[in-house]
Amino acid sequence: MSMKKRLFMIFGPIFAAALLMLAVFLSPLWSGFDYVKPKVEENAAASLSPQVLKGQLIKRNALENGYVPFFGSSEWSRFDPFHPAVLAAKYHRDYRPFLLGARGSQSLTHFFVMQSINPQLKNKKAVFFISPQWFTPAGEDPNAFSYYYSTLQTTSWIEHESGSKMDRYAAYRLLEMPSGSSDKVIAGALARIAAGLKPTSSQMFYVDVRNRILLNEDQIFSRYRIPFNNEETIAKNGRLLPAQYNFAKLDRLAGQIGAKKTSSNQFGISNVFWKHRLKPHFKQLKGFQTKMSFLKSPEYSDFELVLNQFADDHTKVLFIIPPINAKWQKYTGLSAKMLNQFDQKITEQLKSQGFNHIDDLSHDGNQPYFMNDTIHPGWRGWLKMDQAIRPFLTKSVPAPHYRIDDYYYSKEWQNENGSESNLDY
Amino acid sequence: MRWYIPYGNPTYFIWLTLAIIPLMIGLLYGRRFRGYQTVISLFFLILTFGGPNWKTGISLIGYLVYQMILVGLYSHYRQPKGSPNKGWIFITAVVLAIIPLVIVKLTPLFTPGRQSIIGFMGISYITFKVVQTIMETRDGMIKEFHPVLFGQFLLFFPTISSGPIDRYRRFEADYAKVPVRDDYLNMIQTGVRYVFQGFLYKFILAYYFGTVLMPQIQMRALMAHGFSWNIVAYMYAYSMDLFFDFAGYSLFAVGISYLMGIKTPMNFNQPFKSKNIKDFWNRWHMTLSFWFRDYIFMRLVFFCMKHHIFKSRTTTANVCYVINMLIMGFWHGETWFYITYGLYHGFAMVINDTWLRFKKKHQKYIPHNKFTELFSIFLTFNVVCFSFLIFSGFLNTLFFAPNPY
Repeated sequence: MSMKKRLFMIFGPIFAAALLMLAVFLSPLWSGFDYVKPKVEENAAASLSPQVLKGQLIKRNALENGYVPFFGSSEWSRFDPFHPAVLAAKYHRDYRPFLLGARGSQSLTHFFVMQSINPQLKNKKAVFFISPQWFTPAGEDPNAFSYYYSTLQTTSWIEHESGSKMDRYAAYRLLEMPSGSSDKVIAGALARIAAGLKPTSSQMFYVDVRNRILLNEDQIFSRYRIPFNNEETIAKNGRLLPAQYNFAKLDRLAGQIGAKKTSSNQFGISNVFWKHRLKPHFKQLKGFQTKMSFLKSPEYSDFELVLNQFADDHTKVLFIIPPINAKWQKYTGLSAKMLNQFDQKITEQLKSQGFNHIDDLSHDGNQPYFMNDTIHPGWRGWLKMDQAIRPFLTKSVPAPHYRIDDYYYSKEWQNENGSESNLDY
Repeated sequence: MRWYIPYGNPTYFIWLTLAIIPLMIGLLYGRRFRGYQTVISLFFLILTFGGPNWKTGISLIGYLVYQMILVGLYSHYRQPKGSPNKGWIFITAVVLAIIPLVIVKLTPLFTPGRQSIIGFMGISYITFKVVQTIMETRDGMIKEFHPVLFGQFLLFFPTISSGPIDRYRRFEADYAKVPVRDDYLNMIQTGVRYVFQGFLYKFILAYYFGTVLMPQIQMRALMAHGFSWNIVAYMYAYSMDLFFDFAGYSLFAVGISYLMGIKTPMNFNQPFKSKNIKDFWNRWHMTLSFWFRDYIFMRLVFFCMKHHIFKSRTTTANVCYVINMLIMGFWHGETWFYITYGLYHGFAMVINDTWLRFKKKHQKYIPHNKFTELFSIFLTFNVVCFSFLIFSGFLNTLFFAPNPY
């Protein structure tokens, strides 16, 4: 055999395989292959898995089939009989929460998550849980952001970006995160967008190819990576509830269960959390939050990105502002005045732009069995929230009129501490 | 500039392919571009030991200078005709050769969680090569010391981080010549097959067992508090991960060597098909176990026989098996589970030998057929997997470490 022939026999299959792989991952045909089993949607909706957050296909399918996006963070993992996912399943509501977010997922992550479901947000409803703890002076933790970062969501967004203030600010923020510069070409495109320019045609070509490959990957594989399953937890909690929904009865039950589950400490914190997380060192924690403030934070402008995207999609959104466990707040010295100012500031950002559906629970922190631990709602807290969620999602809501104000992207607003005259209280 | 663990990601392979194509063309046309090979070797060494790892790069250079001087001095002493060839000088040379490795291995014991500053990725494997060169110089097998060739041998980049452990004389012979074209074409064919088999092993199978399966089992085992069947599942998953990860890596190293016209020896030969524990060590991490066999076990046996330490040959072999494996355990690391792993294999060898002798004596009564062979494979596999469970340190996490759940 000649040398050329032998080399061809050795390397031919490699080239053939490479071509085949390119053909498979660049093919537009996969978009037709989009059926997701209801069981997979059900698993994904309560999985709280970063895989689900970063993907696209499962979320899109679920949101087309009666699931409503519930944006938030660590609170979703506090499953008890009154958790929104349990109540919706037990009482056969015609909506099911699709829980988006887990520990460390904040506004910027959610802005990019929204990029994977924009068509499913158009004129639809959503619930958004705002954690005051996001609004720290440093804002989103770059490591947490990396953990939930999805290149697919970034490329999809670049494909549709129009150079608006929102797009420029998002590009700027993304470049401040290590994830944003992890890919040199994408970082180049982001720098141009942030500067108000269109990405170059070669950058766009790269983004198109990357987007196509990542989309196909998601399309082909995501439905088989069935994430960790919280369904059993939901079913088990549902069995503790009476067959008929009756608020007064449920509220009593929530108090009874809460009393049993918080018997070990004087703060009304669940026994498990207390035992493992606080008891060993709670003495040192006295007064440790005295200097904490949620008033100056880049998070306010990240949050504005989310609001801007909701406005562009005409999404009807119910915002929930949770309280903080009042006993714990006093013990650790967290300023009540500051919390009050936070509530004012975030409410102003919402209302002045036409986001009027706000379930403000910030003053319920001293209600018994309202909180599961220090900052996350539990039994009676979830139930109280349900009094706002259920009517919002089951009854018709008038079309919103949003007026986005670019002022909320400014450093001025981020650092506005509420002491100036424009925040009167 | 980015920095890479050898064979860690697709980009590393792209660099590798681009770098060795000129070398391959040369070899096809009867030339070995040694200067070019040195340049790309440096490039890949910098990829691994440069950038954020520059401190280990400095350690590597220091280590290299030290060992070159040591081997050079010993060769200078040993090579002239009529060299006194004193035992204590030889022993001193070997001790000096392994001292850096010993320091690196002992450092975490005295300063927990800290690595020695003289350490770098692959120090064990280079030390094995140095010790072997000193021993063969003493035996008179290696007659000349070429600093440049010796450097090429120690720093051969495809095998630098985790072996396989080549032998100096074998490497030197390959490096000196250019294979005939037909032979080289066969080597390319084998090399390409090895690299692709490595992809299957490391990026698909080891990924599945190690990254997908193992964390789930681990979590369930920890949640169960104490003994549960999850430990058994963990044992098998860990064993598969260990094999496919290391065998995959070794396939890359051997495959790339072949493409460079160097026949680096194979490291694994279907180890889970072993019929007994001795057979297993002839198939698992072969270059390491052969190194231990040739330079520790055999030398211990000769020493014991020469000095009539034990009366029977059986006792000699048994004691040497246990010491040999115990040293291997210590080499893995100074923790109870590595040392137990070494002892376990030492005694497994003893039991295996005893059984084989017993079987030979009673051949008439003990059946030997397809079924007994299958049974012995099954038994060996489980004995080995259990040893890996010890080796994994998971029992330590499970029973002695603070439980996070």
